Amino acid sequence: MLASVFAKTLRDRLRAFRWWCLGTFAFVSLYASVYPSISGKASLNKLVKDYPEALKGFIGFGGNLDFVSGPGYLGSEVFSFWAPIVLTAVAIAAGSTALAGEEERGTLDLLLSLPVSRTRCLLEKLAALVCEALALAFVLWILLVIASYADGMGVSAGNLAAAVFGVLLFALDFGLLALLVGAATGRRGLAIGISATLAVAADVLNALAPLASWLNDVRLASPFYYYSHGDPLRHGLDYLDTLVLLAIVVVFAALAPLLFRRRDLASP
Amino acid sequence: MNAVIRAEQLTKYYGASRGISGLSLEVEAGEVFGFLGPNGAGKTTTIRLMLDLIRPSSGRIELFGLDARRDSVEIRRRVGYLPGDLHLYERLTARELLRYFASLRGLDGIGEGKSLAERFELELDRPIRSLSKGNRQKVGLVQAFLHRPDLLLFDEPTAGLDPLVQITFNELLREVAGAGGTVFLSSHILSEVQRLADRVAIIREGSLELVEAVETLRARAFVRVEATFAKPPPKRAFAGLPGVRELERKGPVVLFALEGPADPLIKALARYEVLALDSHEADLEDFFLTLYREGANGAR
Repeated sequence: MLASVFAKTLRDRLRAFRWWCLGTFAFVSLYASVYPSISGKASLNKLVKDYPEALKGFIGFGGNLDFVSGPGYLGSEVFSFWAPIVLTAVAIAAGSTALAGEEERGTLDLLLSLPVSRTRCLLEKLAALVCEALALAFVLWILLVIASYADGMGVSAGNLAAAVFGVLLFALDFGLLALLVGAATGRRGLAIGISATLAVAADVLNALAPLASWLNDVRLASPFYYYSHGDPLRHGLDYLDTLVLLAIVVVFAALAPLLFRRRDLASP
Repeated sequence: MNAVIRAEQLTKYYGASRGISGLSLEVEAGEVFGFLGPNGAGKTTTIRLMLDLIRPSSGRIELFGLDARRDSVEIRRRVGYLPGDLHLYERLTARELLRYFASLRGLDGIGEGKSLAERFELELDRPIRSLSKGNRQKVGLVQAFLHRPDLLLFDEPTAGLDPLVQITFNELLREVAGAGGTVFLSSHILSEVQRLADRVAIIREGSLELVEAVETLRARAFVRVEATFAKPPPKRAFAGLPGVRELERKGPVVLFALEGPADPLIKALARYEVLALDSHEADLEDFFLTLYREGANGAR
């Protein structure tokens, strides 16, 4: 487990990762146990119709205001709220700790006195981040497949995979932003602050867009829009949306080493 | 012309504040080179420039004839480094840390780690967070020697080491130098560098003051004598005494540098009422004091 920077980074994250898995299990169980009492109660949807528009934006998913069908329930409860928060939190935690965390603790000085280039160090830590987020997304997907089957939600494993993959990419966008800010500045708090703020802004921007016509164009700048507007729980993967989310990952991954290489590392 | 380290007009500023300025020096293969200066003089800056952890504002630095910036990975393969402010992975044991570093260096197992740990009497299987400062420093030393490096960069290496461990450390340095390896060692303690090094560079406020063989430096050594009088003696009372220089005066307390026999000074002191007399071997600060005296006299 200590053969490379990649392996060492994963090992460091393992302790926290077990808790994230446990939390995911607890939440999916909770959602799954509530669903049978909501299922088929169309009056609920009527109630929500009279909600203020601003609120609807936050609780709807993919433009649907439907809470009583399987995809509607999972969309509004899991995918517009809880899943993006958890996965983004994990990705930002991993991204900010990767380089800025080591730099602030002073261990980066010694690590980069070894024959490991800065770019390689960064890329191995980036790979560990992707693996960690991917592993948690996989756990989430398995649990949702089981829940959907057990509760008869009628969402296929393929469509669940499309939705989880969307959350994963959304989370990686901000995890890599945290890595990039950390690589460029060496400051972990700043990396968390900027990436978490922008992640929340992406959600709010997308949710409020229906309120004003000028916002409708601005929402195109929000990764949350590309993650949710195609309603993957009903329609599966939208390739163009996926490509946009993936492009953000690639741009940040390409930019981070450039910024990391040219900088003075802080003295421990 | 086989300099292991060659710095030319090396300058580093952190924003407006000075790191080092216009530093040029050469270190030959097989020597133990002492880099002496008070805290904040630029010693750590110089070492971190060698490892490409920071980049020079101007000037250049080469190790093994390779560019410190461009060929950094190749250089680091051949260098062992002990930082002045050592931070280790707290959750790992010493053995795990050594295995990690060894595999990043492409070594099997923990390289020389086992025999080194025995020589330093370091317990390998305790978590690093439970180790004392001295034992952490041993982990730092072992990882620096792990791969039999051609060049060792040590930033204040003996901080926190007890005297017995220091003896082991000195032996290892001699072995490395004997086998053709080079040691670059920073310190703020004159006697330590005199004990360990072949040649010494003295750095102060970012600039190189002098580079000399330790033998030469020792010949310039002096005893520091501090006399406290009942009342301040006249200004020129001790002028012209052989081997005696007046360094400093603070009211009734006068500080002398003494080279050679003590007799002339003692006789001169006896003409006044002396309340206290203290003398010891000069340390770095005293050394600087004489250095600047000389500089000032030379300018006159």
